[in-house]
Order: sequence, then structure tokens, then C-alpha cells
Amino acid sequence: MTTELFNEEFHSISGQLKSYLLRITASVPDVEDIVHDTYIKGLDKLHTFRGDASLKTWLFTIASNIAKDNLRAQKRWVENVTDVCKAAAHANPQFFEESMHIRSTSTQGAFEIKEHIAFCFTCISKSLPLEQQLCVFLKEVYEFKVSEIATIIDTTDAMVKYYLHTGRAKMISVFDGRCALINKEGICHQCSELNGIYNPKQKFQEEIVKIDMAREAGSADKERLFDLRMKIVTETDPFESVAADLQLHHLAHNKNVMEKYV
Amino acid sequence: MKRFLTILTIMTATLAMAQNGKATTEKKTFSRETAVSTTIKADPAIIWKLLTNAADFPRWNSTVISIDGNDLEIQVKQNAICSFISKAPCVDVDLMCIDGRIAEGEKIKLKSTLDPKRTFKLKVKKMETNKLLEWGDGQGHRVYAITNNGDGTVLFSMNEKIGGFMFPMYAKHIPPFDKSFEQFAADLKKEAEMIQNFKK
Repeated sequence: MTTELFNEEFHSISGQLKSYLLRITASVPDVEDIVHDTYIKGLDKLHTFRGDASLKTWLFTIASNIAKDNLRAQKRWVENVTDVCKAAAHANPQFFEESMHIRSTSTQGAFEIKEHIAFCFTCISKSLPLEQQLCVFLKEVYEFKVSEIATIIDTTDAMVKYYLHTGRAKMISVFDGRCALINKEGICHQCSELNGIYNPKQKFQEEIVKIDMAREAGSADKERLFDLRMKIVTETDPFESVAADLQLHHLAHNKNVMEKYV
Repeated sequence: MKRFLTILTIMTATLAMAQNGKATTEKKTFSRETAVSTTIKADPAIIWKLLTNAADFPRWNSTVISIDGNDLEIQVKQNAICSFISKAPCVDVDLMCIDGRIAEGEKIKLKSTLDPKRTFKLKVKKMETNKLLEWGDGQGHRVYAITNNGDGTVLFSMNEKIGGFMFPMYAKHIPPFDKSFEQFAADLKKEAEMIQNFKK
């Protein structure tokens, strides 16, 4: 493969690579570093690329290996990350000052419920064991095959199936117990609370009926609701969306809080 | 010769029953041994992961009913793990705790509500990845074995032997394990095959 073709292909997948890395690291600076290192390493090792897997799989493998080296040294987050971070935000007036400033000045400072659902998934997924988290994102959002994921995380197809199954099951269980959008008894109402803060004139109930997952909450089974949640995550680009700046600000806050908490 | 053939027939029948997920128990004066085996259509690695991730037990193992917190406190249904507490009368045990990591040489701690001040320490005696897991204490030990049949299936076997010189004195207080063994094997088979067939 020529350097030109490599550059072209790298550019074509860099958006997906960045969003994947953000979802597993929760850190914009880490994403920038890993993307840069992936490019350098990929170019350096290009002569070893034999085309057994696609270049996308190969580059995701390099990026995942770099990310894993960093992530293994960090503790995993907690399932109730949003509760812990909410309490920290309320204790920090600067947080809301900053976020309201972003809301009023940035072209990517909107608050969108769907964006928050994707953000929430990113945060809670960091409570999964690392392999489970990687498998869930690689399969559900980036649509890699089981065999490709096995290559990316350097394991067997059987283990990928195990991580996918257990990761999905865990996330379904967590959201079923927490998310008020799908369970009337759910204890987390942050979507509506934040919507009330950032979009005070908007009627929350009118907004959530536009979201398939919330609309089907009363009739669909848990697997279906999880698939609908993953559809929202897949359709959300955390760097390019109209709500990107606000959600990235929230994510940086949550990362800071979690680093001290866990 | 006739007697030998009779014993052979009984053993063959017992083995066949055990492989069907039906538990068998052999009682002796100073020991008791319960075994169950079942054929599972799944990769040995999947079964191994399920067996060695205690924190995930409540999700697929119906003999466990809840888990609480990071200390890995597992509430189990009556008799599910009480076989480890070979000196305790298990009949009314309905809450127990497991604390510890399933790794060779590690100690697993079990607690019973009947005797909450007492902690039973079991040692993970042997771990051969994807093949064998053995744990126990002075009064008994349990062995989980995974045999790859080479045709996409494995034979999963679980065996527990309890006993000792004092066994006759408390044997009557220990209920049969057969049902919980059968349930465990059935749950493991169902979960492993579901993972193996993950198609999404």
C-alpha cells in the first residue's frame, strides 16, 4: 500500500477512530495523542500490512493497543457515575457557569436529549471491564465482525462473544435499573433535569416522544430497547454534533470527578 | 463374573445419567461424593470464563439470587454452596457470602447467616485454564472439569467429595446436593450455549 493511499484511508476513518477513542478514554487530549501515535505507527509499519484484515481493522488494532496500555493503568468508573458527577457539579458553581457560557456562545453548545443519552452511555460503559467495553463499542457502534474484533483486541472469537454477551447484559441491567426514559421506576432523570436547565422553554415530554427508545419503552423488550439506545449512540458523533462542545465539557468534568472518586 | 458385570452395568448407567445432567451421589461411611456431567456445545474458554467470574454468577446461575457491592457478597439460595461448609448444618442456610478472587492459591471466604461470626476459608487448589478448577478445605473439595470433545462440544463435569473421620457425626445434617448440582450444570449449559450462538 502506498503512503498516499494510506493517508487517504486514514483520513476516511479518522472520524470513527476519534469517536471510538473518546468513548473508551473519555479524554479529548488522549484521543488526539492516540490518533497521532496511531498514524505514526501505522505509517512506520505500513510495510508489514498484508491486507489479511482491512486497513480500518488494522488501524483500530493499533489504536486499541495504545489506548489499552493507558487504560489498564486506570481504574474503571462506577455504574452510578452520573449520580456521583451530578453531586460534584452541584457543589461546583463554576461548572454551570462554564456550561451556560458554552450553551450561549458555541455553535456546538446546544443541549440535545439524544446527545445526552449517548454521553451517558459513554460514561456508564466505563464501568464495564475494559474488554467488555471495547467489544460492545466495536460491535454495536462501529459494526466490526466478531472475527475482526478478535483481531483488534487480540483474543479468540469465543472470548469476543463472551465479552459482547456479558457487556450487553450488564449495560441492559444498569440502564433498566437507572434510566427513567425506559423504566418509570428508574432513578436517573438527568436528561429531563438538564433539559430544564439548558432548554427551559422546551417541553420535555414533547421531546422524548421523538425518541424511539422512549416511545417504545412500555412495549419493547430490554434487548430491543438496548438496540435502540445503541442506534442513538451510533448516530451521534461526539465531535461533530450540534451539542458536541457542551457534552465534551460535561465529559471532561466527569473524568475529573471519576479520577478522584475511584 | 456375574457380579462384575452387574457393577459394570450400574457404573455405565450412572455415567450416562451423569452426562445427561443428572446428578449422582455415592455415600460411604466416612464420605459422600456427588457428581454431575453434561455435554455443552460451546468453546471451553466460554465455560471457563463463566466458572471463574464469580461476580457474574448472579446473572446466569439461578442458585445465586443477588450480589451486593464490590466486596462480592453473594446471596445464594438454600444449599447452593453450603456443601463447602461441611461442618455446619446447612438445612436452613439461606444467606452466604463469597469474598475473594477465583485464582490459584487464592483463598475464597464463605459466610453463613447461621454462624455469621465464622468464615469458612477455601483454597483454590488447582487451576488449569479451560480445563480444571479445584477448590476446597480440609473437609472436602470440589472439582470442575472441562473436557474438549474436539467436535465443537465439551463434557463439563462437577464433582464434590466431603468427608473425614468426623463425617458420620454431622452427615445427617448435610442435605443432598443433587438438585443444586443439576441446576448449576443446566444453567451453565444454557448460558454457555447462548454465548456460543451469539449471532447479533
